[in-house]
Amino acid sequence: MAGIDVGGGHGKRATNHEIPLIPFIDFLLCLVAFLLVTAVWSQMARINADARVPGPPKDEPPEEQKKEKQLNVEMKGDTKFQLVWKEGNTVVNTIDVDRKAVPTGSNGDIRFPDLAKKIEEEWTANGSHRAGSDKKFDLAILHTDNTTPFSDVIAVIDAIYSPKRDFDFAGKSEKVPSFNVTFAVN
Amino acid sequence: MHQIPLAFVRKKVAGGGARSTNHEVPLIPFIDFLLCIVCFLLASFSASGELPVDKNVKLPNAENVMDMTEAPMVAITGTQILVDGAPAGNTRAIEEANRLQRVDELFNVLKNKRELWKQINPGKEFPGVVILQVDRKVQALVVKSVFQTAAFAGYPNVSFMVGRLGK
Repeated sequence: MAGIDVGGGHGKRATNHEIPLIPFIDFLLCLVAFLLVTAVWSQMARINADARVPGPPKDEPPEEQKKEKQLNVEMKGDTKFQLVWKEGNTVVNTIDVDRKAVPTGSNGDIRFPDLAKKIEEEWTANGSHRAGSDKKFDLAILHTDNTTPFSDVIAVIDAIYSPKRDFDFAGKSEKVPSFNVTFAVN
Repeated sequence: MHQIPLAFVRKKVAGGGARSTNHEVPLIPFIDFLLCIVCFLLASFSASGELPVDKNVKLPNAENVMDMTEAPMVAITGTQILVDGAPAGNTRAIEEANRLQRVDELFNVLKNKRELWKQINPGKEFPGVVILQVDRKVQALVVKSVFQTAAFAGYPNVSFMVGRLGK
């Protein structure tokens, strides 16, 4: 047992005390066992999307904004994706990518590594927001058929999020996806 | 008790002049170690348990993901839409209509939640985050309709709940 020795008691009540370490260790071990049993090791995560819709009408006319390039990812077809860079309504560039789904895991998940690679190349060549201090992100607009299953939609969003850039936040620089993803409404 | 001459035992235990068999157990570092484990487990302890995922929802997995955050949960199964477990719409109706539409029931529930949040937190900026738990087989039309409804109800930051896929 551990003790505290503060010298003799000089005839009075002794000031040395034994600390009951063994029950303390037992208590700690019980606490560890309880916390380990009730621990939740969550594998859940989220994938973000930006729902930008027009707000209520204002009296004053909106400010003239510089038109930025936007990447339109079209998954309308079983054989290919189409990447279309647009500036406003003007088509700047169109790239076709084969729709090669790679199965992953045992739950029937798929990934599109070719699409991810091509999007990364496109962002490197045409991306507008690269600096860590830039608070804006390039916008990717996803066009899907109404009947596309959600698992395919997530696989494409996952591919769009594969290019990463630096982002300064609270004095630290961290890697974040280069694009913000939203859905085309038509 | 009878006296049993066990001098040979004492000799064995005490080492009998050779190397001592008594050892000090280093209790203090052991306690420090236990305290560290307790602190770590307490810090990562979740009183509410596992994140509630509707039993009819099979989530897809993704690689480029973010950590979960606390926000209203909208579950979309093959037949219905639930907000924090309470029914707020029907997915079959959207599929049958075959056009993008606002889900009025969901819109009202989310709008009420937003107003309640503003009453509880006056002066604070509303984060506008909502998390969608969507079954992997649900059609994109339903997802887009719910997505748009959430945006119109004042939740422009929509996240999709997924499983974390190892790289």
